[in-house]
Amino acid sequence: MQATVPTPTTPSFDRAAERARVQQERRRAALIDVLVTLGTIALALLIGFLVMLIVGKDPVQAYSALLTGPLSRSNRTGRWIEDATTLIILGLSVSIPFRARQFSLGAQGQMFAAAMVAGAIAIYLPMPPLIAVLLPLAAAMLVGFLVGLLPGLMKAYLNANEIVSTLMLNAVVVLLYDFLLTNVFTPPGAQALRSDAIQANSMLGRLTQILDVNLGRANLAIIFVVLLVIGVWLLLNRTPFGYEIRTIGSNEKFARYGGINTKRTIALSFAIGGAIAAVAGVHLVFGVHQRLIPGIAAGLGFEGIVVALLARNNPLLIPVTGLFYSYLRVGGDIMEQEASVGTEIVLVIQAVIILLLTAQVLVNYVKSKNRRITQR
Amino acid sequence: MEQALQVIFSATFIAAVLRVSTPIILPALGGLISELGGVGNIALEGIMLTAACSGVLISVATQSEWLGLLAGVVSGVLLALVLAFFHLNLKADLILAAIALNILASGGTIFVVYLLTGDKGGTSTLISKQMPFIEIPIIKDIPVIGPILSGQNLLTYVAFIAAAVVSIFLYRMRAGIHLRAVGENPEAARSVGINVRAQQYLALGLSGFLAALGGVYLSMGYVKFFARDMTAGRGFIALAAIYLGGKSPVGTLIAALVFGAADALAVQLGNLKIPSQLVQMIPYVATLIALVVYALVQRQRIIARQRKFREAQAA
Repeated sequence: MQATVPTPTTPSFDRAAERARVQQERRRAALIDVLVTLGTIALALLIGFLVMLIVGKDPVQAYSALLTGPLSRSNRTGRWIEDATTLIILGLSVSIPFRARQFSLGAQGQMFAAAMVAGAIAIYLPMPPLIAVLLPLAAAMLVGFLVGLLPGLMKAYLNANEIVSTLMLNAVVVLLYDFLLTNVFTPPGAQALRSDAIQANSMLGRLTQILDVNLGRANLAIIFVVLLVIGVWLLLNRTPFGYEIRTIGSNEKFARYGGINTKRTIALSFAIGGAIAAVAGVHLVFGVHQRLIPGIAAGLGFEGIVVALLARNNPLLIPVTGLFYSYLRVGGDIMEQEASVGTEIVLVIQAVIILLLTAQVLVNYVKSKNRRITQR
Repeated sequence: MEQALQVIFSATFIAAVLRVSTPIILPALGGLISELGGVGNIALEGIMLTAACSGVLISVATQSEWLGLLAGVVSGVLLALVLAFFHLNLKADLILAAIALNILASGGTIFVVYLLTGDKGGTSTLISKQMPFIEIPIIKDIPVIGPILSGQNLLTYVAFIAAAVVSIFLYRMRAGIHLRAVGENPEAARSVGINVRAQQYLALGLSGFLAALGGVYLSMGYVKFFARDMTAGRGFIALAAIYLGGKSPVGTLIAALVFGAADALAVQLGNLKIPSQLVQMIPYVATLIALVVYALVQRQRIIARQRKFREAQAA
């Protein structure tokens, strides 16, 4: 049918063939990306292996604990799911400002702020089921949004260094959390520094009870993960706002000349990242600990970065990389128990992955650019 | 309140401020050099931590504080040069590479300490050396000033001398002026024959050197052991001090002292039943405000310059 319609453009232009060619090119680029990522991971693991060889530990025993540990018992698998839930949400949170080429390191503060707000509501305000989850969640996301918005506004409108501002804000929020936990949330006369349990209606169901398998503290927050993955993908790929973010990320000046309100979009990218990180904070309170404890989100500050970076900020890939990285984290803990090699080797591996990826991303970028030029 | 004022205006408090400021002054001066060279070093924190750890470990192994100092400085400079290599040669993103190095330092130091001592908290079980404390003759006998100026750790004096040296380097020496030119406008600097990459290697290397001195002070002056993540964000507060200080050596020194004073105050007020967390917030909140103030001042300056330019054109 379509073949009979004369094309008004160049007669030799074959649209179907052109589309096939573009798609093939795209698939090839994606394949190269995947191969580079896998190669980076393999290289980083190899470096970790060599480190252990040098320090004289049994690397084979240690590595088998690291690489098979999370699957060796169901409660360990539960720990993996629990950790992956947090990391995937954090990766999604970081991916939005990253797409606009902004380095928001505020996830830690946003999680603590969210935990504080959601926890306070769930401890002190009796609510019916469902509302008891959704209302504190909404409040926490609003607070996360605001905690993200402040450094976003400072960066967008005042050009204030976002790394310093987000890290300072983290310190303030963590101290505030500590202060409130010590002086307000911990009931008087309590033995340990921790709040009462949140109300039962606010607790997210544990998979252990639902599936009748011991999966530790893994919980229904995995529903949040699914919704957020879809939501972030839609936001980035199917909305004008997502288009603006992506345009700013590839060329800020072009975006500005093209009539995009870059300042507003940049500030919002920080804020939306904050609202998403807040969900991770809620997961920690409602799903994992079911109360407020000291340092509830400690040590999670930078973990979203490696997850987002490995996935090249693609929300559909972030679950894969989040599962991968949390597998390493949990495996590292098990390795420490079984082979007395510090779990910190995982941090070393993480650092190597980031270093290699950030170097290679640019090298590849140059490579692909050259290829395109030579093809013309 | 009266009690608090008494605390603040005592000689011991001012001496404490100098002590607490030292590990902020040194990395801040280092960060200033890299910032002015156009390669802002976010890895100060990791460099300090690495230097603090290797300093203690080598001083324990050799029972020499000087070899410890050397090891700390060498490891810190090496880490800074790794950052320079990844950024300048492999074209890695400067910020991401620096974040990676901070993570590497945080994990790597504990990995090594755990391996050597079986303790994850730090090296408190090891007998480590300390940099010398210096009694200055004559000055030490002057009342009030004596206890402030005398009896400080060697590296505290080094920090203040470093501020002067950095100032001379940046504004009076050829290499420093070239370095600032590169930071201001790399293309222009290249066009007059300055080797941009070499200058930026120098800037990062020097920032690593100064940050490492700060790290060694933490573990071998301020205390006598290495503890997990003992830098506690000082590398980032140092970055903030650069902005608060308007990117000048004197300003940076003063800003670092302000942060040190807030820190020392937090310790003192802990005894006065004021919640320590709220006092500890002061330097961070001050930094946030300082970032905004600095940005507003910068903007006013640009607007004024533009107006002048337009007036000059009209005339």
